[in-house]
Amino acid sequence: MEALEIENWVKLIAQITAKVPLTLVVTGISLFFGLWLGLVIAMVRLGQNAILRAMATFVISFVRCTPVLVQLFLVFYGLPQVLLVFHIDINDWDALVFALLTFSLHIAAFLSEMIRSSFLAVGKDQFDAAYSIGMSYLQAMRRIILPQMAVHALPNFGNNAITLLKETSVAFTIGVVDMMGQARIYLGNNYGMNMFEIYILISLFYWLICIAIERSIGRMEKVFCKER
Amino acid sequence: MTIFNLQFAIEQFPAVLEAVPMTLTIAFVAMAFGMVLGFLLALCRIYKIPVLNRLTIIYVSFIRGTPLLVQLYVLFYGLPLCMETVHQWTGLHMPAAAVSPLAYALVAYTVNSTAYQSEIIRSSLKAIDIGQMEAAYACGMTTAQGLWRIVIPQALRIALPNFGNVFIGLIKGTSLVFAVKVVEIMAVAKVIAGDGYRFLEMYFDASVLYWIICFLCERAIAVLEKKLRAKY
Repeated sequence: MEALEIENWVKLIAQITAKVPLTLVVTGISLFFGLWLGLVIAMVRLGQNAILRAMATFVISFVRCTPVLVQLFLVFYGLPQVLLVFHIDINDWDALVFALLTFSLHIAAFLSEMIRSSFLAVGKDQFDAAYSIGMSYLQAMRRIILPQMAVHALPNFGNNAITLLKETSVAFTIGVVDMMGQARIYLGNNYGMNMFEIYILISLFYWLICIAIERSIGRMEKVFCKER
Repeated sequence: MTIFNLQFAIEQFPAVLEAVPMTLTIAFVAMAFGMVLGFLLALCRIYKIPVLNRLTIIYVSFIRGTPLLVQLYVLFYGLPLCMETVHQWTGLHMPAAAVSPLAYALVAYTVNSTAYQSEIIRSSLKAIDIGQMEAAYACGMTTAQGLWRIVIPQALRIALPNFGNVFIGLIKGTSLVFAVKVVEIMAVAKVIAGDGYRFLEMYFDASVLYWIICFLCERAIAVLEKKLRAKY
């Protein structure tokens, strides 16, 4: 087996680096939508409506108990077929949209559990105290509860973000060319030469991003905890 | 073509069901070996054994920081290279081609779960008050005895829910193993789906199957937890 030429390395690294933003954007957007959706699901699960609560529990159980790969395929192949019944044609949508949709829904289930547990950790007396000085529900939520929830939730959020980042590597199976996809395309063009080295290289990329996320979460934790 | 052919999904369900043992084998083997190795790594970190401690930290960080799919590929293509190198250096007979993909997959999943389990074991061992170990020493036990008889039974109770999570993660992780030519639930579903363009039905089958397995695991862990708690 021949070693890879130095210029090929440089080219490959440049190609993969060019895809880093895409991976980050997919992770970021999914986390953003997942957080809002997760908040809604968590509020439903904490709420009074028994039917809605059962539905939310059902959805969370399904998402947490099936592989993200299966979910990706279900959304990619299933959703267009289902929507076709209502005469909505989304077959020509970009694969990226489906990937974003899947990852958002997927991470929302995990984040909703995170939000729920941190909400319970803050405790009801904080609400009572906020009400007693005349705050409305939304005011109490925004000024009193959410800042405290953030402290509880942050380490957990970091774990979820890292997991999601790694899970985006399966998006290539539906044709989204991210970091992993770029490496696979390169391998395909070169008849699978130097597979080992290239996968080591790609794992270094993921590792570095993960370390960066860990560090920034750690810094944020320090900032939040200082206020206490 | 109908939108969703339920009959087809039900007809093909047994075929997918046949692949369950493979999924469970990978998960069980990786879990069992990972637990033993993870325990050793956890000890390295708790007792701060000079070089091994550092290596373990790097290893765990690497495994937790890279996708499972990448780890699978790295080992699947890297292990034969390593075997070849060993063969060249030492002359030992290493038939890399004779090793089945399943063996590489088992190694990859073990390597992966070892890292996660070592962290779980480390945190659960640390959660046990240091006084317990001191009390064991005071009774004249050795470190091994103290760990085995006093600390581990208590740590196990703390670690059990996390072990359950790792196991469920492993089961879901096995859906990637088709990438290295091992045929399990997802692979069977994909193959059948590819034959007749019935993707939705087959992925529906697969997801139901995964769901059932994970649900059963969750229940089993809950029962175990209750049992362990009842002892005290």
